[in-house]
Amino acid sequence: MFLTIISESFKQNMRRKLLAIITVGLAAALVTTLLSLVVGVGDKMAGEMKSYGSNIRVVPRSDTINLNVGGVEYNPLEGRDYLEEDQLSTIKEIFWSNNIVGITPFLKVPVFLEGATSHQSNAPYKLNFIGTYFDHVIPIEADASYRSGAKITHKYWRIKGAWPLDDKTDQVLIGEALARAIKANIGDKLALIIDNPSLSSAEKQKNAATLVTVSGIVSTGEAEDDAIIGSLAMAQQLSGLQGKVQSISVSALTIPENELSMKALKDEDSLSPKEYDTWYCSAFVSAIVHQIEEAMPNASAKAVWQVTSGEGAVIQKLQTLLLVITCAAFISASLGISSLMNTTIMERAKEIGLLKALGASNWKVYSIFWSEALIIGAVGGLLGLLLGAGMAYEVGRMAFSSPLILEPIILPLVVVLSILTALIGVILPTRAIASLQPVEVLYGR
Amino acid sequence: MLEVAVQAQTSAAQTAPVQSDQKVIEVQGLCRYFGSVKALDNADFSISKGEFVAIMGPSGSGKTTLLNILSCLDSPTAGQYYLDGVEVSQLEEQKRAVIRREKIGLVFQQFHLIPYLSAVENVMLAQHYHSVPDKAEALQMLETIGLGDRATHLPSQLSGGEQQRVCIARALINDCAIILADEPTGNLDEENERLVISLLKELNAQGRTIAMVTHNPELGMVADRIIKVRYGHIESEGLDDA
Repeated sequence: MFLTIISESFKQNMRRKLLAIITVGLAAALVTTLLSLVVGVGDKMAGEMKSYGSNIRVVPRSDTINLNVGGVEYNPLEGRDYLEEDQLSTIKEIFWSNNIVGITPFLKVPVFLEGATSHQSNAPYKLNFIGTYFDHVIPIEADASYRSGAKITHKYWRIKGAWPLDDKTDQVLIGEALARAIKANIGDKLALIIDNPSLSSAEKQKNAATLVTVSGIVSTGEAEDDAIIGSLAMAQQLSGLQGKVQSISVSALTIPENELSMKALKDEDSLSPKEYDTWYCSAFVSAIVHQIEEAMPNASAKAVWQVTSGEGAVIQKLQTLLLVITCAAFISASLGISSLMNTTIMERAKEIGLLKALGASNWKVYSIFWSEALIIGAVGGLLGLLLGAGMAYEVGRMAFSSPLILEPIILPLVVVLSILTALIGVILPTRAIASLQPVEVLYGR
Repeated sequence: MLEVAVQAQTSAAQTAPVQSDQKVIEVQGLCRYFGSVKALDNADFSISKGEFVAIMGPSGSGKTTLLNILSCLDSPTAGQYYLDGVEVSQLEEQKRAVIRREKIGLVFQQFHLIPYLSAVENVMLAQHYHSVPDKAEALQMLETIGLGDRATHLPSQLSGGEQQRVCIARALINDCAIILADEPTGNLDEENERLVISLLKELNAQGRTIAMVTHNPELGMVADRIIKVRYGHIESEGLDDA
């Protein structure tokens, strides 16, 4: 009997019920998209933000040991100690290895540019040759073909021309300022002479004729604008530092810092064992830095806080904004349902009055409308979910160039939220049922 | 088929009503005011078990107001109402709903059938809110009142008399001892009026207490007793000798 009443109610008020389902469905679609964004935006945005540079810098431990001489900080070992190139893979094998999205080594070598002179002194033009990976294989245990390099960690570099190929050691990028100063263009050949006092004259002579070809002009807004950037292999060859790197830039997906991570940052020993485990197993930049230092005992890893904190703040604000919009969507849908249900209850006042006259309790009458709301919520939620999945896919594709895939947790969440929205929408109208006196509606008083 | 049912009803109506001195309805000083309008003022009377009482009076006299209070659809402004010896006048709505479904069968002038439910489903509706719907029992009830072949028809497919009989079947299905009818023949033609009255007489003969509101003096004559209401007052009680 109850099911007959419900099914007949749907048949009799099909237009209004469809309208209610569409209202919930649209809200559910919007919420599915927004929740997909809330869940996915962290990784997607962090990925996007990585284009503004790496967020962790690894250098030899000796580089961070400063001496205070006469009030001046001085590090006699700075630039004289190196990391091993074959240690790079260990960074990609830490606990948070999946969050490491890029690793780029650097080796800076001072060189002279043959045939060019400084404007001020007519002395040979002195500059830095920066050796790095552009897109190089770093074999790791889980993936022997893992590739990384500046193309991934330094997406903000603007290249006019083409990126050099790692296996073609004679291809280089030339900094924009340097290219302007020496009037170099893409395709030009440059001769580099090593400026290393420790090399013998014979070695200097051997490197004298190192010719490189400019494949592109790079603009970074930093020191690279006055340098030549080539392969790490060439830098090692020029400097004689085979298998050595000076610093490593690491891009890692991190979560915003919180009280726990700040406490760890000040003093790891102050953490209780439970706090330590929580911190260690969270993708805080400080935890990742700690794990890199564990993997490379001779290295010191530092977070680039401007990038890290900027990322965290932006992502957190964005997620808050999306959650607020999600709530607003559901409140709007609830109000829409409330309005539709109110009209329905007014229209069916006589029927409700009769049911009450026959002895139906308020709860029994409520159950009719709650069941209708439940069906509306469930059907609307499922339809909205399908629509929302499509919308999330497109939004992801348009905004991040890769689709946002619906996380499994969103499916039950959206259906439950849709049902709750519809139920909340009938709370106020059903209160009118309680105050509705059968004698008033049956006798038109 | 209808004629057979009518004959059966007429024959049953000739059976002597079962009455007792037990008062199932008793009101004392019953008042119902709507603002300054005294729809019912200081009404006192009682109805015994198995009695067939007609509540009569001109339009606006307060007879429907009285019936609404007796049906527990409305509460009096003042006074006492004892139903089966229990004071029910000031009960809250939820408790009055329990009394309505357990003790009282209601028959309306406007029938008040759910338009999208068939005749048998309308009867089962009262079962649903009382206990458990039993389709076989509901069909049997429609059969008894001569509507067995109309069970699956919607109210819009039934005549006024048939709708009223469905309404009566709904009032009877839970085997309530008291039937309260508000102008049960008010919207019927003469033939259907006769049918419905026969049905009520038969129910009374089976021992049910019936209170029927009507303004038709001829209908009043079929009752055991008439309670006359005028300007909200009980004017007289007893058989109408006017």
